[in-house]
Amino acid sequence: MVKHENFKTCDQSGFCKRNRLYADNAEVSSWTSPYELDPRTITFKNGELSGIILKSIEKRSEKVRLPITISFLESGTARVTVDEEKRQKGDIVLRHDSKARKERYNEAGAWALVGGLAPSAGAALSGEAKQGTTSVKYGPAGTFEAVIGHAPFRIEFKRDGVTQIQLNERGLLNMEHWRPKVDKAAAPEAKEGEALPAPAPPKDENEVDESTWWEESFGGNTDTKPRGPESIGLDISFPGYDHVYGIPEHASSLSLKTTRGGDGNYKEPYRLYNSDVFEYELDSPMTLYGAIPFMQAHRKDSTVGVFWLNAAETWVDIVKSKTAANKLSLGIAGTSSTQTHWISESGLIDVFVFLGPTPKDVVHSYGELTGYTQLPQEFAIAHHQCRWNYVTDEDVIDVNKKFNKHNIPMDVLWLDIEYTEYKKYFTWDPLTFDDPENMHKQVAKSGRKMVTIIDPHIKIADGYHVVEELKKKQFGVKNKDGDIYEGHCWPGQSHWVDAFNPLTINWWKGLFQYANFKGTGPNTFIWNDMNEPSVFNGPETTMPKDNLHHGNWEHRDVHNLNGMTFHNATYQALLSRSKAEEKSPRRPFVLTRAFYSGSQRSSAMWTGDNLAEWPALAASIPMVLNQGISGYPFAGADVGGFFGNPSKELLTRWYQAGAFYPFFRAHAHIDTRRREPYLAGDPYMGIITDALRLRYALLPTWYTAFHEASVTGAPIVRPNFYVHPEDEAGFAIDDQMYLADTGLLTKPVVTEGAESVDIYLGDDKVYYDYFDYSIYKGKGSHTIKAPLDKITLLMQEGHIFPRRDRQRRSSALMKFDPYTLVVVLGPDGKGQGELYIDDGESFDYESGAYIHRKFIFENGILRSEDIGKKGKLTGQYVKKMDAVRVERVIVVGGPGEWKGKSKVKVSREGKEVKNVEMKFVEGKSGKGSEVVVRDPNCKIGEGWSISFV
Amino acid sequence: MKVAHVVVIAIGAASHVIASSESPRPRGVGPEFGKHYKSAQSFKCINRPEIEIGKSQVNDDYCDCPDGSDEPGTAACAHLNNTLLALPGYYCKNKGHAPSYVPVSYVNDGACDHDLCCDGSDEWAGVGDKCSDRCAEIGKAWRKQNEQRQKALTNAAKRRKELLVDAERRKKEVEDRIKTLKTEVTGAEVKVEALEKEFADIERREKAKVVKAPKEGGKIGVLVSLAKGRTQELRSSLERVKAERDDAQTRLKELEDMLTQFHTDYNPNFNDEGVKRAVKAWEDYAARDKTPVQDVVNRDLTEILKDDGENGLDWAEFEGEHKESDIDVLYKFEEYLPASLRDWVDAKLRDLRIILIENGILPDPATAGGEESKAVVDARSALDAARNTLSSRNSDITNHEADLTKDYGPDGIFRALKDQCISADSGEYEYELCWMGNTAQKSKKGHGNTSLGTFTRFDTMVVDEDVPADGRGLGSGERIVMHYENGQHCWNGPARSSVIVMACAEKDEIWKVVEAEKCTYRYEVGTAAVCTDNGKNGAAAQKKDEL
Repeated sequence: MVKHENFKTCDQSGFCKRNRLYADNAEVSSWTSPYELDPRTITFKNGELSGIILKSIEKRSEKVRLPITISFLESGTARVTVDEEKRQKGDIVLRHDSKARKERYNEAGAWALVGGLAPSAGAALSGEAKQGTTSVKYGPAGTFEAVIGHAPFRIEFKRDGVTQIQLNERGLLNMEHWRPKVDKAAAPEAKEGEALPAPAPPKDENEVDESTWWEESFGGNTDTKPRGPESIGLDISFPGYDHVYGIPEHASSLSLKTTRGGDGNYKEPYRLYNSDVFEYELDSPMTLYGAIPFMQAHRKDSTVGVFWLNAAETWVDIVKSKTAANKLSLGIAGTSSTQTHWISESGLIDVFVFLGPTPKDVVHSYGELTGYTQLPQEFAIAHHQCRWNYVTDEDVIDVNKKFNKHNIPMDVLWLDIEYTEYKKYFTWDPLTFDDPENMHKQVAKSGRKMVTIIDPHIKIADGYHVVEELKKKQFGVKNKDGDIYEGHCWPGQSHWVDAFNPLTINWWKGLFQYANFKGTGPNTFIWNDMNEPSVFNGPETTMPKDNLHHGNWEHRDVHNLNGMTFHNATYQALLSRSKAEEKSPRRPFVLTRAFYSGSQRSSAMWTGDNLAEWPALAASIPMVLNQGISGYPFAGADVGGFFGNPSKELLTRWYQAGAFYPFFRAHAHIDTRRREPYLAGDPYMGIITDALRLRYALLPTWYTAFHEASVTGAPIVRPNFYVHPEDEAGFAIDDQMYLADTGLLTKPVVTEGAESVDIYLGDDKVYYDYFDYSIYKGKGSHTIKAPLDKITLLMQEGHIFPRRDRQRRSSALMKFDPYTLVVVLGPDGKGQGELYIDDGESFDYESGAYIHRKFIFENGILRSEDIGKKGKLTGQYVKKMDAVRVERVIVVGGPGEWKGKSKVKVSREGKEVKNVEMKFVEGKSGKGSEVVVRDPNCKIGEGWSISFV
Repeated sequence: MKVAHVVVIAIGAASHVIASSESPRPRGVGPEFGKHYKSAQSFKCINRPEIEIGKSQVNDDYCDCPDGSDEPGTAACAHLNNTLLALPGYYCKNKGHAPSYVPVSYVNDGACDHDLCCDGSDEWAGVGDKCSDRCAEIGKAWRKQNEQRQKALTNAAKRRKELLVDAERRKKEVEDRIKTLKTEVTGAEVKVEALEKEFADIERREKAKVVKAPKEGGKIGVLVSLAKGRTQELRSSLERVKAERDDAQTRLKELEDMLTQFHTDYNPNFNDEGVKRAVKAWEDYAARDKTPVQDVVNRDLTEILKDDGENGLDWAEFEGEHKESDIDVLYKFEEYLPASLRDWVDAKLRDLRIILIENGILPDPATAGGEESKAVVDARSALDAARNTLSSRNSDITNHEADLTKDYGPDGIFRALKDQCISADSGEYEYELCWMGNTAQKSKKGHGNTSLGTFTRFDTMVVDEDVPADGRGLGSGERIVMHYENGQHCWNGPARSSVIVMACAEKDEIWKVVEAEKCTYRYEVGTAAVCTDNGKNGAAAQKKDEL
């Protein structure tokens, strides 16, 4: 059970409470937002509009000046940034002689953004603007428009003349400007009030509650808040949109729920404040380990989105309204709208607006800004076996052997914290891991890797070189007084690495050198846990907000970025572990628990410490899907469940689901019984092995999907609304997953004792059962028999996907195996798909060392086309893969007239023609037919065609 | 058919086969399957002979047979489920060493698996690193080790015989002891019988004696007697209550010590509200003004518990003040009779009195608070001593007989090892195994000893482990195991337990200890006690014994 008392509710988080109250006050019809854009200040240059927003304060004639810029980017994205002039200029006084910076935090972009900021050349002020507004046309062919209202300040974003997104439409914009603390008792009259609506309500009734302005205590910790209240709030509305998705990480449904109470709804806003939540609860807006403040709204045939670039504690309220259509206007349905309210404790208002119109467009635009997912090494997308803990190096070697003995494929063995000596990272416990080199060597014999954990807390211990250097070089996070911060975590009293400091990163890189981290080798990779950061004695199990990071930014300002800076540093460290590797690096693999927008560039994530219970398995599906559409698709949940002992049935079902997590790792708590697949006994071991083998057979398809994600930002597993954006009935479906663009659709069994599952089809195409070709057709729900040994997996017509059927011990040992192509046809006899291959480990693909083919089936001919771009190393790589061929083509759903055919014609590079055997098996009783082409022997790196006519 | 991971064929036979037949067997086919591949034109899938394919389709790197038999030398059928396969794997000739089978999925995967296929022939296509033929070197080393292993196994068999002899001797000792005890019991029984008779006689004699009359008399006497009894009762219950109190105090102290330790050791910073609440509650408790058990109270108690005499209460003083008892009247009655008649009456009365006493009509002076005569006391104590001896001999017999029926493993061989202990280092602990006794874990980091259980029973277990070159490994097959249970309780978990899996070895030795799961330990142990006569593992043999 999660300990609710350890985590704040909105009511216990001063700024959240204040902004919610602000929103409640704004509900009254007399409400006018006190923010006005001074039209005299507006300038427009290079796709950027700037000006000053003036905030009126009750009983004061002086107005607070808030500089605003609205950037229109070449990508069609718009960015709205609001700052506070006084603080920009450093014209404020901090309390408690604080050393903290005076500006509002303005470096989130430096960490999160990597591109897509080129200004739009075509954006221009529109002459058609109404009185009191400024209008800018931008985007593809000028079809986007931002209409900026001056008083009160507000923006409407339109696409093709239709309003999609509104900022400050409800008047909830709130930037708590800096003010000096005034002693109430001494001069109650001089008190400067919070902005209030005019006319101001009677004073005694609505006395401003300052109790959360200057100091806040929680769980025995007091936040000194040297800058006083400084929160920001803004309402963002999506008129006509009934569904919003995104803002991970929450254990909630994919389609976000409303948060202001009511039956079946949440009472608390969705919270984003990276936290180590012990035994987190399901179906909750509570915060978890990571934060991506990116939300998309979806309605039939339109998707739009916003990205709230702020790293402070953030809460998002969601309400929906159904505006019933005029009862007299028959036939016109009422429109649904979603209204959101974003609240952050400090920092800038910095919002990116994406106008779609497809989910793919929105996710792509977000990826342009924050980067696409890294192309991982191939082993990283295979099966990982973890446990807290394999207790000795011999234990590891033994587990490794047992996988081989039972012919269960596995790529990576993991070591949790117990491998270290007294939890001192970069050391090995000499009593239990006395020969880590040999351990790595034994594991490598089967092509396998190891992942060891390195956390950001550094044990305070005499003679421990890491902590001594950290202290000497001042690379640790500091407390509010500027002294190195000390807290409690696994090793006991510890300091925390401050990876915001570039010099810290340099030092961190050195620690991972093979020469320094003895016992590691080229097949060692890293797991960064506890980087929220988790601090056992801190408020909400993390750091005090008035701690100071590099550049004297308060922890308050950067909290949600902290985890990312740490795994980024580790990523960089893995690029340079030896002189040789510095010259020709291999792709790092880092798993992180905490994350932020941009984490996808250098890490994989998992959903943290889940429970070995059926509902946790069910909850993992929407969580993984949500990661996918939020730009961070390399995601998975602990297979088997972390806490507790899963039944064998649950374990088996979890492997079957896990085989479709982009990140596929089994993990278990130290107090649980061992549960490696080979221990499961009959029939479970065999069924689990089948699920693993399915993952391995489909690795070429997975790798191709990861490649697509790495160049377009597309999710790897996709929810129904993404694949069928027109299918209104399926917008809330979040318990089934499409694997990229392959037409493969799985609906994992997540309930005990299930004999069947209902799978939802979002269109009227033909779907075949992956294993027996049973046909399912017709939009809507279909029941599929699903006894324990059955993975519910369908193939949608119109696709071609590659497999490698030969089962090996690990993915590394499959590198030169031949391919099987599966062609799935419907009545139109058409299909297409892709294959991307490279060496699976180096960066040579950046110089063209890859093969990228498109397979097209039409008019009875299957052909392979090159869709790669030639580079320096292309020829060399294709040559290296010369012996790798297509050994088999399977066509499912081929036409009946092929019956009796026994030969197909194979041409290579358009020349040589030869006949190759094929076998047609008619589909009986509701099943699709199957054709197997026997060894067409086409080179995978060459063009070829196979004619069935 | 279940395909073994690697099948090593007896070395002598195999080298003979290779030498004699350079057959045109396809790559990867072992001699025992050669017959299926004789035809030059076609091939029939071994388990599915109705499927016939062209000979050119054998080893053409495309899987045609559903049992994989057409691709013995490639990995083309590596997608098939193991249970379907007709062949045990890819056959490595391993010239210079023992031939072996490796799974076909290892063929041309780019990894040299010399420990399984020393001639490197599984990597014939040269997909990855070149795999050289290392059979000469590996075979030589293997033979050398094998020689040692064989020697060790011979020695192990020898040692087992010694253990058996020793166990037999110990068993004999027990049997002999039982015999001796039985003789002693017979003697003791005779003696008890004699003493019982003697005691009865003496007692009867004494009863008949005119003894000093019992001291009871009158109402005061009754009251005194009751008071005395009551006091005695109160004293003994006070004694019991005090013992209970002392026990409770000890336990409280133990708990308080534990909590004090917990209070200093717990991680004050871990945000566990449960722990924090417990600590706070303890602090409050500890700070509370407790009324310590005062020495004065204790001293008082000790005083109270002293004999009444020492407390200045002389019951005899009060008991002495009595009226004539009924019996006294009886005796006095005689005084009024003539002498001649008196003797007659006297004798009659004596008999009558005995009858009355024996029938419970008159109180027995011996038990009615009167002092027993020395003769009776002596006789009683002699009888008690004899009875004690008898019962102790009997319980010795019971114990020894139980020991004889106790399971000491196959042929009772573990009798020879009983009370011996062996230990081994593993990680941060030293693990101890006392045969038929306890298992324990001793921390090198100074956390003290932890019991991992006490022997409960023998069992068998099927294992499948590699045997390292030095022979210190369980190997494959059924092995004898011992269960040790009810060790120290784990925090939040079960009692620790350990299972001792044994394989035949010359020396009694712990090879490996793993904490497979929290609080469950597995010892892999070598001992000659589980060998068969020819130095093999004897679990199956034990099973037969059980039948």
